[in-house]
Amino acid sequence: MYFEAVLNNKKYKVDVHEEKTCWKVSVQQEGKDWIHYDISKNDYKSAEEYVSFLFHGKSYLIDVLGQDTEYTVFTRNSFRTIKIFNDEMLLHESLKKGGGFGGDSVLKAGMPGKIIEIFAKEGDEVKAGKPLLIMEAMKMENEMRATADVKIKKICVKQGDSVETGAVLIEFAN
Amino acid sequence: MIQPPFKKILIANRGEIAIRITRACRELGIASVAVFSDADRDSLHVFLADEAYHIGPSPSKESYLNYKKILEVAQQAGVDAIHPGYGFLSENAIFVRACKEAGITFIGPTPENMESMGDKLSAKALMKKANVPLVPGSDGGVESVEEATAIAKKIGLPVIIKASAGGGGKGMRVVRTESELESAFRACRSEGQNYFADPTVYIEKFINDPKHIEIQVFGDTHGNVVHLFERECSVQRRHQKIIEESPSPSVPDDVRKKLGDAAVRAAKSISYVGAGTIEFIFDNTTKEFYFMEMNTRLQVEHPITELVTGYDLVKEQIWVAKGKPLSFKQEDIQQKGHAIEARICAEDPITYKPHPGVIRACRHPQGPFLRIDSYAYPGYEVPIYYDPMIAKVITWGDTREEAIDRMQRALTEFVLTGIKTNIVLHKSILKHPKFLDGTYTTQFIEKNFEVLEPELFKEVEDPVFLIAAAITAYQDRKSKDVRRLNVASNWRRIGRKIQLRT
Repeated sequence: MYFEAVLNNKKYKVDVHEEKTCWKVSVQQEGKDWIHYDISKNDYKSAEEYVSFLFHGKSYLIDVLGQDTEYTVFTRNSFRTIKIFNDEMLLHESLKKGGGFGGDSVLKAGMPGKIIEIFAKEGDEVKAGKPLLIMEAMKMENEMRATADVKIKKICVKQGDSVETGAVLIEFAN
Repeated sequence: MIQPPFKKILIANRGEIAIRITRACRELGIASVAVFSDADRDSLHVFLADEAYHIGPSPSKESYLNYKKILEVAQQAGVDAIHPGYGFLSENAIFVRACKEAGITFIGPTPENMESMGDKLSAKALMKKANVPLVPGSDGGVESVEEATAIAKKIGLPVIIKASAGGGGKGMRVVRTESELESAFRACRSEGQNYFADPTVYIEKFINDPKHIEIQVFGDTHGNVVHLFERECSVQRRHQKIIEESPSPSVPDDVRKKLGDAAVRAAKSISYVGAGTIEFIFDNTTKEFYFMEMNTRLQVEHPITELVTGYDLVKEQIWVAKGKPLSFKQEDIQQKGHAIEARICAEDPITYKPHPGVIRACRHPQGPFLRIDSYAYPGYEVPIYYDPMIAKVITWGDTREEAIDRMQRALTEFVLTGIKTNIVLHKSILKHPKFLDGTYTTQFIEKNFEVLEPELFKEVEDPVFLIAAAITAYQDRKSKDVRRLNVASNWRRIGRKIQLRT
C-alpha cells in the first residue's frame, strides 16, 4: 500500500506490504534513495496496549494515535505527528488540484483501480471541468475531469481495464 | 493503636494533592471525603477516597472555590476537619473563618497568618522588623517619578518596578538605564490599576540571574517553629517551577544555617502555625539572599523535603491542627541524601502550552528510591479547567548525582501517550551541563531551552516514527475497507427489503 508522508516538513514516499511473517516497509525521503526495511512480525508486536518494536537492536514501546491524515507516534517520551496520505486521499488531492499525477501532458492513475467508463475519444477537445473518465478505486467511483481545456492525443486504456498506480490513462496534445 | 486525631477529613482539592492527603488520612485511620466538579467525576482522587460528593460545575469558581458549597457538603458528611491542599482555598482567610464558625477544624495556618503574608508590602514591613533580609528598595509605595529616580540612584541600577498587588508577570518592569525609568514607572502604575485595581508600585534592586531558594517551616500552636531546610526551585518555565531539589547545590553550609535561621525568625514573628514556606531570591554570585514572599500552605514540592528529612509533612499538619506539639525538634531534623522532583505536565514541551486530552497508555515508573504522586491512568481525560500538572516523579539518592541518574531512569520508564507531556523536556534538562553543575538560575530555561524540536526528540530516529505510522495507517486502511464492505451489504439488504415490500 502506497502512502505519502510528511514528517518534520520533510516529504517521504512510503510503501507498506504485509506478508505472513513480516512487514516490508520502503521509505524514500524526497531527493534521496529508497530504503527498504524488512520487519519481522516478531519484532513488531502488540504488547498490552502498546506495540513493542525492536528496531536495529533497540527496544521501543510505541503507541500510535491516528486521526484522519494525522498520525501521532509516541515512544520514549517523544512524539511526532506525521501526515499520511494514502492513495485515495492522494487521488482526491490530485482531482482537487485537477492535474492528476504527472502533470499536464498526461493523466495518470493515482492508485490502482478499474476503468469504469471513458467519456472522451482521441482527437476530442475537452473543456476544463468536463469529465474524462470514471475510475473505480477503493470501492469508490472517482470521476476524473479535465483541469484545463485539452485536446486528447491518445487514450491508453479501455473500459474494464485494471490499472496500477502511475499508469498513463490519457495523453494530451499540447 | 493511637487514637486518630480526627474522624473524617474533607479534602477541598482535586488531582494528585487530594490523593496525597487521602493517603495521609488512611495511614492515620481517618476517613477521607473527596469533592468533585462536573469535569472530575472520573478523576482518580474520587476513586481513592472513602466518600465523594459532587460540588458543582467544572469551572473552579463554581466548584473548588465555592467555599459555601464545600462547607455545606462538609457538614452533611459530618467531617470534623478540612484540608485545603494547595491553591484553590488554601490561602483564603475568609474560608478559614467560615470553617471555624461551622465548628470544623481547618488544617493550616490561622487567618491572621494568611493576612499578614497576603499583601506583599505589609509582609515586607513585618519581615524588616523581624530582621529578615529584604532586597534593597523603596520602603513601601513610590508615588512619583522623582522619588523613583532618587531610589534607583541610591540602590543602583538595574532595578525592578512592581505593582504592589501584581502577580503572574503582570505589572512588572526591569529598568536597566535611567532613561527607561519614567515610562516603566507609568506602565506599572497603569497595569496595577487595570489588572489589580491598585496603582501602588514599589522599587527593588534587580538581581541578575537569581536563584529561587525556599525554606520549609513548620509551627505549632505551642509556639514552636522549626525549619526543614531548603528546596531549590530555579528550574521554571513561565514563572512556574518544574524541577525542584533539596538540598540546593548552590548553598554553602554557613549560608544554609543563615537561611534556616532567617526563615524561623520570619515564621516566629507572626506566630506561624502549620506548614509554610519562606521564599528567597538568592544571588548565586554573592550568596546573599533576600525575602521574597511566604506561602502559607503546603507546597507542590513538599515531597523532596519529606524524602531528605524523613518526616511526613501532611500527617504533621493534621496533628498540629489537632493541637499536638511538633513531633520533631530543630536539632532532630537532618537532611539526608538528595531528592529531586519533576513535575509532569500535560503540555507541549516546546511551547509550554497546555495539552489536555485523553491519556491512552499510562505506565508509571517503578523501582528503588522512587515516589510517584500522580492521578494519571489509561483512558483518563485530562480536563481543560485546571492545572496541567498530572504527576510528580520524585527520586532520592545518596548523592545528587545518584538522584539525577535515578530521575533519568524513572522518566525513561514512564510511558504516557495520547497527550503531549513535558517528560522529554525534563530529560534534556537533567543532562544539561548547567543543571549538572548546579549553576542554573531562574533564567535557565528561557536562556538554554530555545530548543528546536529535533534536538529534544533526537533520541528516537525518524524511521521508527515513520514505520510505526505507516504500518498503523495500513492497518486502519484495511479495517476501513472491511467496514465499508459491511456498509455496502447493509445497503443491499435494505434495498432488497424495500423491493420485497413493493
